Amino acid sequence: MTRRAEDHLHAFLRALAEAGVAVSPPKRADFLMSVVASPPDDVTGLYWRARVTLVTGREAFPAFDAVFDAFFRGGHLRAEEEAPAPPDDDRETAAPNAGDDGELKQLEPRSGSGLHASPVDLRSTRTFPPTSATARDQLREVGATLGAVLPVIVARRLRPARRGRRLDVGRVLRDANRSGGEVVTLAWLRRPPRPRRVLLLIDVSGSQRQHSPDLLRFAHEVVRVAGRAEAFSFGTRLTRITAALDMPDVDRALEALSARVLDADGGTRIGAALEQFLGNGRFLALSRGALIIVLSDGLERGDPAGMAAATRRLARLGHRLLWWSPLACDPTYRPVTRGMRAILGDLDDLAGARDLDSLLAQVRRLPETTARARRTATRVWSR
Amino acid sequence: MTAQPYASDPATISIEELGERLAERRYFAEEGLLTAIHLALVLGRPLALEGEPGVGKTEVGKVLADVLGRELIRLQCYEGLDAGQALYEWDYPKQLLHARVAEAEGREVGELYAERFLLERPLLRALRAGEGSVLLIDEIDRADSEFEAFLLEFLSDFQITIPELGTVRATRPPVVVLTSNRTRELHDALKRRCLYHWIPFPDAERERRILRAQAPGLDEAAAAALVEAIKSIRDLALLKRPGIAETINWAQGAAILTAEGALWPEALQRSLGLLLKEQEDLERVQGQPELFAV
Repeated sequence: MTRRAEDHLHAFLRALAEAGVAVSPPKRADFLMSVVASPPDDVTGLYWRARVTLVTGREAFPAFDAVFDAFFRGGHLRAEEEAPAPPDDDRETAAPNAGDDGELKQLEPRSGSGLHASPVDLRSTRTFPPTSATARDQLREVGATLGAVLPVIVARRLRPARRGRRLDVGRVLRDANRSGGEVVTLAWLRRPPRPRRVLLLIDVSGSQRQHSPDLLRFAHEVVRVAGRAEAFSFGTRLTRITAALDMPDVDRALEALSARVLDADGGTRIGAALEQFLGNGRFLALSRGALIIVLSDGLERGDPAGMAAATRRLARLGHRLLWWSPLACDPTYRPVTRGMRAILGDLDDLAGARDLDSLLAQVRRLPETTARARRTATRVWSR
Repeated sequence: MTAQPYASDPATISIEELGERLAERRYFAEEGLLTAIHLALVLGRPLALEGEPGVGKTEVGKVLADVLGRELIRLQCYEGLDAGQALYEWDYPKQLLHARVAEAEGREVGELYAERFLLERPLLRALRAGEGSVLLIDEIDRADSEFEAFLLEFLSDFQITIPELGTVRATRPPVVVLTSNRTRELHDALKRRCLYHWIPFPDAERERRILRAQAPGLDEAAAAALVEAIKSIRDLALLKRPGIAETINWAQGAAILTAEGALWPEALQRSLGLLLKEQEDLERVQGQPELFAV
């Protein structure tokens, strides 16, 4: 390789990084080695060598193509053999724009539907009403039910058990020592099931105003009872509320929350909030293999494309993605808004939940919904 | 027709020759996929393949094993797959029996954690296959994300550490093909170690070649019409877009019906169940008869 060609390749790698296609050093080494070990005949050959070695996911193809074209094809568009990305692509999408959406207004003519969500972040604080005795009973019921209904995953570690797949040879031999070297009973090991992580994403925007206290109480109970639960609230901003919820008394937890969930009653920007969640590596890790429950009416202001892309990604990360909407409690409800239509295909279940009663009912339905095949919400709603 | 395996070092196989050898085995790869396989052989890196179901991801592993004349070792992933099922297990019953027999015969028991009490599982077998192997780790997205961590040591150094025995290294590193349907995202650490290729749906020309090879009874005009129909069907927003495997089945089914005297468009309509496996999709496509006009 000539000095100039080498410089050009390094400049190309730098440009990729600037365009947001992160390339780790081992991948760069792979690329450079591939060019040396198997020199490409033409630009297309170079294109494939670069894409195969440098890109780690399909979503990065457009950005990669743009940089490659600029560097090696003099800004011309791509080679003919490359299939254009299909429409259901999950590329990065810009945050929803702030245009008015007339369609929603017609479909949901009730007050506080999120239509009046303003891009101005009001950051108003609020206090929640105290929890009634009945509500506390219902919460206890949720907590008692939860342990039995959460989807489980087999633990990685072996534990002694009465019976199992594997012999605990160590224990057998120790016991045998006690009985003079004779094996009297066999000891077994098994990998006990443990519940999957629960991830709650709670919409606390204006359109959810009347429901959010109950949703947060529910979240408090889930975080308290389920060992590995995480809760986030979103409206105009995304807030991690797990730590605030993690105290014994529900009213004190909600009080602590009102200080933290500053954007309660602000506008709904579901897409932006979910993108923010996915954009944070630590948060994103919490969703892997988790039972993800989004508690939101799905009334997105503006373009729902961002919400759809983020939901799709979330569905791929989690074990199951359930969407509980207060609107779906109404028997005449159909998921017909542009936003809901766009995400329905990625949901494992879309159901109604607006107060502790309906939340409890949904919790009891969990074994049924998580036993179904994935992405079946469409099928249920098209019946 | 049995094609000869490639005898020399796989790293020396050129992209053109690779394409020919795959085509001899009726696998028609686009240039991107050929480059990806070629680089996987040259650089000795695992190859991660993604794509819609039915575009021939798993087939790459199988046909590559045949091209290289190596053993194909397949690890099918599923939820709850653990290290014991993927790497190795100790044969405890055998160990106990051995100890008891030795005791009864008054011999020394000897080493219980030895080679002969080891049950090889796919990953270990891939390392110990003398002539090298092609390891197909299929549908990795079905395994739990924790399982990917198990794969990291294996994929970067091609070695497995067995505490009782020591480290097992590959005599000849296996060629590794990972496939994923993208139902969940893979860890960055895993992706970093792999070459990556997204297998797209084939273009019309390549799909016709595939049909010619896989459904020999079909005449040229019929194949062209069928490929056009498939293209339009894939553009509809279906629940499950048909892959290449379904296309082949459909072509074969329609060819049988025409051989029995049915008219071509009607044969296509009647064998649609071989292409679409969802009732909703069937209804949508059947509602558009213009798709089958020849």
